[in-house]
Amino acid sequence: MISILAIIFLGVASGLAVGSGFVAFLTVLGVIPRLTQLSKTMKMIQQYEWAVVLGALTGVGASLREPVLHMPSFTLIFLGITGGVFYGMLAAALTEVLNVFPILVKRIRLDGEIAILIMAIVLGKIFGSIFQWVYFVHH
Amino acid sequence: MVFFIYILVFFGFHEKVAYYSYYFYEEIFVWEVNVLEETIYIRMRNRVQSPPEEKVLLKDIAQVIAPDEVLSHLQAMMIHQLLDAEQNIVIIDVMKVIHLIKREFGEMEVQTIGPAQTIIEVTYKKKGVSIPYFLLIWFLLFFGSAMAIMNFHDDVSMKSVQEKIYTIITGKKETKPLLFQIPYSVGLGMGMILFFNHFFKKRINDEPSPLEVEMFNYQLDLDNYVIIHENKESMKKISDD
Repeated sequence: MISILAIIFLGVASGLAVGSGFVAFLTVLGVIPRLTQLSKTMKMIQQYEWAVVLGALTGVGASLREPVLHMPSFTLIFLGITGGVFYGMLAAALTEVLNVFPILVKRIRLDGEIAILIMAIVLGKIFGSIFQWVYFVHH
Repeated sequence: MVFFIYILVFFGFHEKVAYYSYYFYEEIFVWEVNVLEETIYIRMRNRVQSPPEEKVLLKDIAQVIAPDEVLSHLQAMMIHQLLDAEQNIVIIDVMKVIHLIKREFGEMEVQTIGPAQTIIEVTYKKKGVSIPYFLLIWFLLFFGSAMAIMNFHDDVSMKSVQEKIYTIITGKKETKPLLFQIPYSVGLGMGMILFFNHFFKKRINDEPSPLEVEMFNYQLDLDNYVIIHENKESMKKISDD
């Protein structure tokens, strides 16, 4: 009995740590404010919080229990795009937090052309990702 | 509700104009005498770009409001002569400007509004961006981020996660879930563009992107640094022999 209680306590404690860490990470990178700013839906921010929480819980369920849904395979396209956009925003936010671009652009006197440098990184990410899945992992 | 009577009496007084104002305001009588001196208002600009060896005039570094008879003279007043040997940033403090104005128009009052100094950025012949240099950096970023994303995928075992997702959704085993992976890869790029609010040159909406705000803040920090460090007057050591 006491061991069951201890296990439950441990589970809640570790879940609390991981969950708050996840939310803190998202908050620092400011992805959700950025999305509300782009779509002008500041009022819905509470709904977005719930979306993140429920999404995380769905992910927990999927990775712990591994259910099988038998859905048509094209639903994966939707999942892939949403996952990719989310990761892309995280990556972009991380580059921005690290303050890479302002310094780089100043150094090489390219003030007007940041878009070109961003495109280098964006295309590099797409290229690297496709290259990995199509060729790299099978060698 | 505010009820006041405004009576103007004015007479010549050493070429200055005196206004006697009489207010009636909630049963309190207020007498006020405004002696209006002729005033020069100046507002220093934040940053000015200038070619080297140029004479810096007041109108270049500040906005000026002044009585018409002195305005043109004021605007054409030389504040600073840029020398070729000088470094590429010069700070003009508003104190220097006031000093020069007072020397010529001593009887006038000078009011300053806004920043206390102007940063003059001496722009030497605009060096074009060297193409090989640019290409080097472009490909550095391109392959760098490609390598970084591959290492990230490997680090978080994304392959096995994707295969699991494929099995969860469709019930089939697949070692090449390309149906998931290709949209994922394109979405990765789309997410970055969405965050930076750039579609090549076209913007998604007209708010500044975080990167532009970041660039602005960086420039502001640099400006603050040079204002303090390049301005001889803003830091002083009192020697104690």
